[in-house]
Amino acid sequence: MNTGLTLAAEFETPSVEYRLLAPMLIVFGVAVAGVLLEAFMPRPFRHETQLGLAVAGLLAAFASVVMLAGDYSVAASGSVAVDGPALFLQGAILLMAIPGVLATAERKVDVGGVFAPAGSSTPGSPAERLLVAEKITQTEVFPLLMFAIGGMLLFPASNDLLTMFVALEVLSLPLYLLCGLARRRRLLSQEASLKYFLLGAYSSAFFLYGVALLYGYAGTVRLSGIAEAVSSEAGNETLLLTGTALLTVGLLFKVGAAPFHSWTPDVYQGAPTPITGFMAACTKVAAFGALLRVLYVGVGGLAWEWEPVIWGIAILTMGVGSVLALTQTDIKRMLAYSSIAHAGFILTGLVGTDAVGADGELLGVSSVLFYLVTYGFSTIGAFAVVTLVRDAAGEATHLSQWAGLARRSPVIAVVFTFFLAAFAGIPLTSGFTAKFAVFSAAWAGDARVLVIIGVIMSAVAAFFYFRVIVLMFFSAPAPDGPSVVVPSPLTTVAIAIGAAVTLLLGVFPTYVLELAGLASQFVR
Amino acid sequence: MPLLMPVLLAGLLFCIGVYGVLARRNAILVLMSVELMLNAVNINLVAFDVWLRDELLAGQVFTLFVITIAAAEVGLGLAIVLLVFRNRATSSLDEMTELREDAA
Amino acid sequence: MSSTATVLAAATDTGTGEAVTFWVLGPLAVLAALGMLASKKAVHSALLLALTMLSLAVLYLAQDAPFLGVVQVVVYTGAVMMLFLFVLMLVGVDSADSLVETLRGQRVAAVLGAVGFGALLVFALGDAVVTNEGLDQANSEGNVEGLANLIFARYVFAFEVTSALLITAAIGAMVLAHRERHLPKITQRDLSVQRFRGGQYPAPLPSPGVYARHNAVDTPALLPDGTPADASVSRVLAARGDVRSIPEQASTTAIERAAPRREDDGS
Repeated sequence: MNTGLTLAAEFETPSVEYRLLAPMLIVFGVAVAGVLLEAFMPRPFRHETQLGLAVAGLLAAFASVVMLAGDYSVAASGSVAVDGPALFLQGAILLMAIPGVLATAERKVDVGGVFAPAGSSTPGSPAERLLVAEKITQTEVFPLLMFAIGGMLLFPASNDLLTMFVALEVLSLPLYLLCGLARRRRLLSQEASLKYFLLGAYSSAFFLYGVALLYGYAGTVRLSGIAEAVSSEAGNETLLLTGTALLTVGLLFKVGAAPFHSWTPDVYQGAPTPITGFMAACTKVAAFGALLRVLYVGVGGLAWEWEPVIWGIAILTMGVGSVLALTQTDIKRMLAYSSIAHAGFILTGLVGTDAVGADGELLGVSSVLFYLVTYGFSTIGAFAVVTLVRDAAGEATHLSQWAGLARRSPVIAVVFTFFLAAFAGIPLTSGFTAKFAVFSAAWAGDARVLVIIGVIMSAVAAFFYFRVIVLMFFSAPAPDGPSVVVPSPLTTVAIAIGAAVTLLLGVFPTYVLELAGLASQFVR
Repeated sequence: MPLLMPVLLAGLLFCIGVYGVLARRNAILVLMSVELMLNAVNINLVAFDVWLRDELLAGQVFTLFVITIAAAEVGLGLAIVLLVFRNRATSSLDEMTELREDAA
Repeated sequence: MSSTATVLAAATDTGTGEAVTFWVLGPLAVLAALGMLASKKAVHSALLLALTMLSLAVLYLAQDAPFLGVVQVVVYTGAVMMLFLFVLMLVGVDSADSLVETLRGQRVAAVLGAVGFGALLVFALGDAVVTNEGLDQANSEGNVEGLANLIFARYVFAFEVTSALLITAAIGAMVLAHRERHLPKITQRDLSVQRFRGGQYPAPLPSPGVYARHNAVDTPALLPDGTPADASVSRVLAARGDVRSIPEQASTTAIERAAPRREDDGS
């Protein structure tokens, strides 16, 4: 007992910088408040209250990110880095999460919303018919989304591998769950959830093994400690290389890069469409943020070793994504392969490690940051459009059903064409400026062959986007084809935000590009 | 005792886990193989902790986190498996073929 | 707690003791893991995995990590593996798994991969030796206190965020499994009111075949006046057309009732 008392006296209370951690604390706080609301709020008011709380929380967290800008340091005893890339990506995730949450809350397109009335009820059972008739919906999705967003905010900011691992799991677990709750095609959705969970757990085991080996190498899990060990060339090089490789495998899985992409099409197809959009945008941002931090801060001294590997993976990912997308007949699967191809393009920018811009910014980092913002907003918008094209069975996702869509709803066809043009990288869309940024970073980083392959792959990718555009505008619509539903303001706003950002960053990219440039330095 | 021994043991168990994930067809057994992989990681962490004479015990703390998180993960994972089982009366991954590449 | 730690440390201070423990438990863990991989019955796999985890727990104890050893037993073998067993029982204990190779040459590739990885580790670590000396110092304030100092100071943020994970898991399991009641509960009283108000036959239905030849379910009972009691046969059988007709029934019963009596007379 004596020892306990003396220890209590010795124990130094850790300093927690609440101001620096505010974005994450606000989001987690809102999530916990949401859980309490589920318990005490009468059911009829829950949906609106949860939605309002979530959006208010996201805005407040974004405001606190803005207030932190330029104020870089490490927080929570060095386990969280508050620096340019972290704040930039946190801001991006929070802004993308707003249209993401709005699209998820849509209840007009499909009466009762995109989620099953209760996760536990069997599709078509009397119990479920009762729930549908009573218009009961599952509002637990809002706190779950907020927990996922909290994890995503922490993931690119974590400054040691333990925090990074915890953040990885915090962001993944709610997503595994949300994937399985679709109202329509429930079996597909549950299958997606199971596959995502098993493969996600599998990949996080690789991540952990990598962490264990790096701990054995450096004797610490702090990224700065690992960087020191790398630069002093102390310790065992095999442990370092194997550990880095396994750690990167875990991160590349989350990013959806080939050859670790096999979950992407299945999960994107099976998950409820607004969740797919949210996941495709925000998870990618968070995972690339973590990958950047590990590769640049942790093992930046090893750039000679990992650059060729990322090179190869970038080429493979672009190839797999672009070529397999050509053969798809389902629009959600096609967008999934397109997201794989985009992961490849982003990896291209990552290779430009020694590319330094005019003001000393790291072009490799800033181009990746910029690309993530543009891709995220276009993706959320595109998936929100997919939710609107429906027939009696739910969303009409087969490509043949999209034939002649322009005759049924010219507005939706034009908006979707705009998003596809952004994915293809057509000038005047954000996709063009983003591709230009990553390719010029890679060019400046002397990865010229990679840039040429990247340009060829963008041409291949453009082909399948244009196939869809041609199908929508120049094919005759099927007589019993799907109709386009007029959504509530929620989805309309989500699509409008996506389209507006895609246009703005295509026409006036300078401001955000400069911001990304300013935000390209890591603290260590 | 050489450090190699526990690390080799961990490597062996990890490989068995990897193989189990790829070879077993029952979702529950796949999940058990993942647990085996996590246990292998824990052996590594503890062995390195002891080897490094880490006064901070960082490896042991990490292991503690891994155990906690694995428990949460298993709870959710088994709930998903049960959900799928209730609707399909199977937990075999070979029968989860509704999401796949089109033959056409 | 610190006294336990010192006792355990004293017990395992000698390198040889630790080596013996390792050489007994290490192979045991590997064999159990291989058994998990190979056994056809899912429950056997689960029990063998529990054995692996238990031997690892003892290894942790031997390596001066008493708190981890205890947590390993309590959380892994106690909670996680029992959860696995529960779910296996729910899903069906007999859920056997085929061990047919789904990819050709899978096993050969797996063995080669494992050997390669092992060789890499041997090459990497060479002859580094583990001793417990430094750890005694780290554990000098007690293993648990050492861990607590780190968790609640250095890693306090990760620790707090883990609680988000646990909340997620709890909500998740609830969303997937809990059924909320949306209708008032039907009580015994409601049921009996329903039964008598409905104007149906309130008593238990007559059992089939009582006065007929068989007491089989497909034969209606005969009422005292010789007519069949339709309520005595399951509606499913009636819908399927599997109910025996009464005239045929009556005649065969009469003949058969007569026949054995004649035999009795003969003997």
